[in-house]
Amino acid sequence: MQILRRGILASVITLFWAPGLGRAAEEPVVAAASDLQFALAEIRALFAAQTGRDVRLAFGSSGNIARQIRSGAPIELFLSADESHVLALARDGLTEGEGLLYALGRIVIIVPHGSPLEADGSLEDLKAALARGRVEKFAIANPEHAPYGQRAKEVLIRKDLWSALEGKLVLGENVSQAAQFATSGAAQGGIIAHSLALSPDVGRRGTFALIPADWHTPLRQRMVLVKGAGSVAREFFELVRGPGGRAILKRYGFTLPGEPG
Amino acid sequence: MGEVSARCALEVRLLAARPVPLDVMLTCRSTELLALVGPSGAGKTTVLRAIAGLLRPSAGLVAVDGETWFSSESGVFVPPQARRVGLVFQDYALFPHLSALDNVAIALGSGLEPDPRRKAKSLLARVRLEGLEERRPAELSGGERQRVALARALAREPRVLLLDEPFSAVDRGTRERLKRELRILRESLEIPIVLVTHDIDEALALADRLSVLDHGTTIASGRPDEVRSRPSSPAVARLMGHANVFDGVVEAVAGEGGPGRIRWRGTVLVAGATGCFSKGERVTWLIGPENVALLKPGDRAGEAPENGIDGILTELLGASDQMIAAVRVGEGSDALLQFRIAAREARRLGLAPGTPVTVSLLSDAIHLMAPER
Amino acid sequence: MDWTAFALSLKLAFWTCVLILPVGVVAGRALAWGQFRGKALLEALILLPLVLPPTVLGYYLLVGFAPGSALGRLFASLFGAPLVFSFSGILVASLIANLPFAIQPLERAFEAIPPAVREAAWVSGLSNWRTFLKIELPLAWPGLVSGLALTFAHTLGEFGVILMIGGNIPGETQTLSIALYDRVQAFRNWEAGAMAAVLLAFSFLAIAIVHVMARRRPWLHG
Repeated sequence: MQILRRGILASVITLFWAPGLGRAAEEPVVAAASDLQFALAEIRALFAAQTGRDVRLAFGSSGNIARQIRSGAPIELFLSADESHVLALARDGLTEGEGLLYALGRIVIIVPHGSPLEADGSLEDLKAALARGRVEKFAIANPEHAPYGQRAKEVLIRKDLWSALEGKLVLGENVSQAAQFATSGAAQGGIIAHSLALSPDVGRRGTFALIPADWHTPLRQRMVLVKGAGSVAREFFELVRGPGGRAILKRYGFTLPGEPG
Repeated sequence: MGEVSARCALEVRLLAARPVPLDVMLTCRSTELLALVGPSGAGKTTVLRAIAGLLRPSAGLVAVDGETWFSSESGVFVPPQARRVGLVFQDYALFPHLSALDNVAIALGSGLEPDPRRKAKSLLARVRLEGLEERRPAELSGGERQRVALARALAREPRVLLLDEPFSAVDRGTRERLKRELRILRESLEIPIVLVTHDIDEALALADRLSVLDHGTTIASGRPDEVRSRPSSPAVARLMGHANVFDGVVEAVAGEGGPGRIRWRGTVLVAGATGCFSKGERVTWLIGPENVALLKPGDRAGEAPENGIDGILTELLGASDQMIAAVRVGEGSDALLQFRIAAREARRLGLAPGTPVTVSLLSDAIHLMAPER
Repeated sequence: MDWTAFALSLKLAFWTCVLILPVGVVAGRALAWGQFRGKALLEALILLPLVLPPTVLGYYLLVGFAPGSALGRLFASLFGAPLVFSFSGILVASLIANLPFAIQPLERAFEAIPPAVREAAWVSGLSNWRTFLKIELPLAWPGLVSGLALTFAHTLGEFGVILMIGGNIPGETQTLSIALYDRVQAFRNWEAGAMAAVLLAFSFLAIAIVHVMARRRPWLHG
């Protein structure tokens, strides 16, 4: 009995030995804007199938990820939903050059099933519903640090809906959380990324419609390798920009650079 | 007196201001039992703790068998673990998670004893607890727990045994049994024993020496019967439980010219000794109830009784053999003289409150003290 | 079910318990029996993490141990990685956040030991160390187990501080509760549900242990 207890103790200790030691050979961390939640998961699977290697994906709002990189987070590749963050990092010498444009994003209005709103990309329905007092909560990503949220704000201001809607807004920490809020039924609808709406998990919860691209600053999505990135991250970078990655991005509604939008 | 050459096995002198004010001096010889008495809060337990090393007074000395355990002068302080002292705490302080046997064996576990459990078993047998070795304290009665505490205290063959109010928490039957056992134990122990109690009768029954403590100060020390029958001050008298304590004035000093005389409440008492008091001096005098006798009709009729006092019987207390009677001396006074009488006798004489009685005071038993200011 | 996150959570909880145990015993004992100036202040400080918003703790850790700061550099030189975004970092945060959970039950347990029992041990010849090992620890044992159970469960559930200073790095700082949050955002509700159930089970187990331990002292009466 004593030996058994000692044995268990020994294995437990070995199992948990060295908190945090020896992490160097781990898969690299690829941080991406949350609109790539589903698209990038597919690309990762493709990467694993093709090279037999893996990456660790971390999603969040582009602004948050940029902040983390500045604070020294061990991120090797950054896929932003917005150029400005990448360019700012490049300016501060934290990256390998300015990276490259990998996609152009779109925003959509999405309404869950049973909502009094309709999926009207011109937002006229939203306007009318607001006037009739049928809108209590509306979800967008936080404009402070999420590019998709910022664009949502832009179009709402353009359509003169911002002040009326401001008190009813539910802000997601990133566009994925905004999609969560928008489709949960607790809000009457929201403005989220097209790529998210195209995924079956999100799409089946409601209906959506594209909002005209020229109503907002373009979503020029840029990715960049962070200084000190390893070879696996580089390979992943190549896959995203290459035909394999582009095909997947296209399926998720992104306009690819060099192709008509 | 061979006692002069006998070594003082325990010598204690303590002076402290905190946590309780202390001004204590006591000595005890090997095989002697010293009773430390006094009211609650007098500091008796503090003295025990100082002897055991659980307390370090500001100044003083604790020496046992020639070995100094504490000396403020030479800066010596031996920690309690290194003192071979046996202490039985007031609530026994047994280790609740250990069996009786382990409670004793753990005291033997320092490595010097080759077979602690066997020795512990024999110690428990010595205090008559065979068969109960594996019980936990919660499964033992109060008397049994005390015996475990005693066995544990004796485990390391202590140089001095300290008992803190050992009889206060047990019922009368157990108490008598434990007292008997303690007497038996004493015969086999050759060490000084200090017993703390607030029960004077207990102290008188068990002790060879008595030390009276009041507010942290030793106010009396000596043989029990002496301290009791001849207390040095009214304060000691009170602590010893004396009831017949009165004020008087010396009328005549005892000496060549005859016995001493004390004036008290219009009567003149004959006193066998007047000590160092002079004529006209105010004194406080006392007499033990056992030295006050009821004069029965037919008692040497015709002869003047020794210190005869008339009074009215006011109280007759107690139901069993010995009753305590109080006589009010003088009308409307608050002077009550106590005496003892057998219940049968009281019944036979038809005594009841209100009966006029005459009592006689044994002149040699009258003890004088300086009055309190 | 994210096994990496699960293993990471277990690892964090395990190491927090192991490292906080001696702190809990020493501090709990000192607070139970020590008489020193500033004791009340120390007790209040130890209790602080109980009521402190986790984000406040996260904020001060971020600021205090920022890579450029002196503390940050010291930390990095000691542990090979900066405090933020590393396992060592969230371990430090976890240790601070769990101080009251580890110290309080132990302090109560030691307090409950009658002083006379310790004195009896000394008078019976037990050195301070043997008294601690053979008398104090066994009597304080239920408090120790409670403290560990609470610390373990609390660590599993930590969220705010870990997210703030750990980021959300899978395999490094993405603990189970954060992974849960992550899955919900990714619309993977089934996985999130599985993780939530596991965390719930552990919390319940911890409370059960604490409850049983609280009643576990029949031999102390008498």
